[in-house]
Amino acid sequence: MNEPLPSALERQLRSVVGADHVITDPDRLFVYESDGLSQYRVRPRAVVLPADTEELAEVVRILHAAEIEIVPRGAGTGLSGGALPTPDGVIVGTARMNRILEIDPQDRLARVQPGVVNARLTDATRPYGLYYAPDPSSQSTCTLGGNVAENSGGPHCLKYGVTTRYVTGLTVVMAGGEVVRLGGAGREAAEGLDLVGLFVGSEGCFGIATEIEVRLLPITEGVRTLLGIFDSMEAAGHAVTSIIASGLMPAAVEIVDKATIRAVEASVFAAGYPTDAGAALVIEFDGTEAGLDADADRAETCCMAAGAREVRRATSEEERVALWKGRKKAFGAMGRIAPDLLVQDATVPRTRLPEVLAKISEIGTRYELEIANVFHAGDGNLHPNILFDRSDPEQMARVEAASHEIMSLCVAVGGTITGEHGVGVDKRGYMTLVHNDVELDMLRRVRRVFDPRGLFNPGKVLPDEEAGIPGSEEPVGRSAPTARPVAGAGTV
Amino acid sequence: MTVATSSPGARAPDAVERPVSTEEVADLMAWATAEGVGVLPVGSGRRARPVVGEGRYILLRTDGLAGIDHYEAADLTLAAGAGTPVRTVTDALAANDQWAPFDPPFVDQRTLGGFVALGESGPLQTGYGALRNHVLGMTVVTGDGRVVRLGGRVVKNVAGYDLLKAVIGSRGSLAVITSVVLRAFPVPPVDRVLVLEGRSMAHLLDMAQRVGTAPVLPVSTVIVDSLAEAGGRPALVLRLHGAAETVDADRATLETHTDATFQRHDHLDLAAVRDHAGEGEAIIVATARPSRLTTVVEAMGALEPTGLFIDPYTGRVRAAAALPDLEVVGEVRTRIESADGALRLDAPKLDGEAWRQGTRPSAGEATIIDGLRTAFDPGGVLWPARR
Repeated sequence: MNEPLPSALERQLRSVVGADHVITDPDRLFVYESDGLSQYRVRPRAVVLPADTEELAEVVRILHAAEIEIVPRGAGTGLSGGALPTPDGVIVGTARMNRILEIDPQDRLARVQPGVVNARLTDATRPYGLYYAPDPSSQSTCTLGGNVAENSGGPHCLKYGVTTRYVTGLTVVMAGGEVVRLGGAGREAAEGLDLVGLFVGSEGCFGIATEIEVRLLPITEGVRTLLGIFDSMEAAGHAVTSIIASGLMPAAVEIVDKATIRAVEASVFAAGYPTDAGAALVIEFDGTEAGLDADADRAETCCMAAGAREVRRATSEEERVALWKGRKKAFGAMGRIAPDLLVQDATVPRTRLPEVLAKISEIGTRYELEIANVFHAGDGNLHPNILFDRSDPEQMARVEAASHEIMSLCVAVGGTITGEHGVGVDKRGYMTLVHNDVELDMLRRVRRVFDPRGLFNPGKVLPDEEAGIPGSEEPVGRSAPTARPVAGAGTV
Repeated sequence: MTVATSSPGARAPDAVERPVSTEEVADLMAWATAEGVGVLPVGSGRRARPVVGEGRYILLRTDGLAGIDHYEAADLTLAAGAGTPVRTVTDALAANDQWAPFDPPFVDQRTLGGFVALGESGPLQTGYGALRNHVLGMTVVTGDGRVVRLGGRVVKNVAGYDLLKAVIGSRGSLAVITSVVLRAFPVPPVDRVLVLEGRSMAHLLDMAQRVGTAPVLPVSTVIVDSLAEAGGRPALVLRLHGAAETVDADRATLETHTDATFQRHDHLDLAAVRDHAGEGEAIIVATARPSRLTTVVEAMGALEPTGLFIDPYTGRVRAAAALPDLEVVGEVRTRIESADGALRLDAPKLDGEAWRQGTRPSAGEATIIDGLRTAFDPGGVLWPARR
């Protein structure tokens, strides 16, 4: 049971943001107990919802002075537990900070508050012929602030890159409540360091972004979407390597495996994928109309040469939606075949995909677990999804062991433990697979530059410190979350 | 190797070291921190700032850290030592019909580590992203000799905080880069170069703004105040990448949108365009939002530039000039900053302290930067130029 906030402090917070925007009622706190990684649940002491930079800075000043941990939260769609509360902490949410502050069509820039929903920005800029490129699967609900914290990607970041490529400037509230403007379009020539690049992806541990300036792109003229059907995942993997090596630059290349195809086709989301197929590959090209058909032809040739059974091509927007349906509804469909689903996230060199997928399959067999793969193949960004039942402790142990093996495998072939979901609370135990003590210490030192007392989002990203590591005199993350049913896997 | 030591107050190094491995760099840095000796890491030496002030310092040459360590063409990744000439890297990529879209001035005369340490992007940033998006990983040695691997060998490469971004462009002030992992790209089927000769810079700036609002985004847009192929007249140079029919369609779209006719140049000296205004006694780089470029260009006129290079998409203006009066530089900077822009001055022969005339970070940014420098270099031995 959490200790309630001291009443004087609660009054202070209410005076800053308004009485209605400090939540302490346990029934209302319930929805803040987890983010998209719903297996971890911790009730915060309170939730505070400021409306602008000034309010948020004052809230941080008050909490910092009282040495209360601060957990920043956007829409709570993250899959690594990055917004998981701490038992002693207060959530500072950005839900009310949802204004688009500026759209500058001439300079192709926008400035937004962090609570603006990703897809809403594109809706607002579309009349100017512009859009915001990073498109996480949760883009209809996730917010730009969360995207900045996690350096979010999406299916189309193969061609367009992830969030960090588009953020040109930030206004951030630092640990003591100081407001600092980092970078900004037009300020690249200033002396200094790329603090914007460093802040993006810091998972709420450095501060809270309260204004975000992003670059926009012109909406592309045309799009071509293909669906390649393969008898095996290995053949689909070879097709991906062949497409990229041919010099083509698809906007997206996504793989759906046999287990996922069957789950989708047995669900209300049935997309017409053949249920006896070993894998399906969704390939999309966008850009100038002229040339798109030629690109699609070349990709089709690559698929057929790799052993595709057939390649379908969308000829209308409706058909395009249909081809994507099996990919986009995969997670929803899996809920039908198992009560729980662990969404893993790791990256491997693209050429190692066939080998890694075969080994993941072997791991699943050995641990008697069904593992379904849906992922961004063009980037080598895997999402092995483990189906399980959390009410079975023995199965949970196998899930944990299998997850660890998958992560170790990805690292062993030259990959890393996350592609786009972040480390959060979920994968911090795996950080030692990719970083030695010196490197972890370096991360801790940098974190302390921004937040010397470790009050921002403690217990995230970095594994608990051990005695004897240089520079570890001051622990970061004073109260790591205690709920930890399965390490290393997000759930949807 | 040319390191400016002839500028007023500049000092020659007390010793020159040429380590051949990351371990040797680590030993050297640990020793330097223990002894309180400054270290200036230098690649080609083209852009090293002169060292002024007190104290001993070592020039650390990285050319002993040369060579391609790993090149996986099918994965489009290449790892090489920091002292590897950029030209060596681009030659290796070209042999596999690949390339790296780097085009700051004289990039082919630099070392990989020096280039990354400076963090400069060229106009191809428009189509391919800034340099920071192409550096997937690095090995660095901190000021006190700790070896730290940053990023990795995959495109989505970061687990933990993205320290890579802080080191790119840090000018050797955080750590010594000993190796770099790059992302490569397939060579585009067609690199279409289009030129519009201008009546004036103002006319070309106006045209560039029209290009900037077109539904087609060239991979590179440049204005130079003098183009040899245009008889020395100012020109707007666009590059379109893609299949032949795609770039032809893009050209038609741009011409319709801008109401202009672009000349196709299949043999334009792109290196000369890239390097324009990239050499001189003083190089002044200013940035601003693209819509404010006219103000910036007008302000830069006070420096009487001998060459101007403008990247309208990113809002970057580069001027080559004779040694300027620092008071004039200050006035120009004030004008540009009032347009929410920034200015940087590199004039090694002018004064060892001349770079301080550039736009400084805000107080809040400076506090973070100082903290980062302490975290990476607790003894404060790196980049003795700032002492």
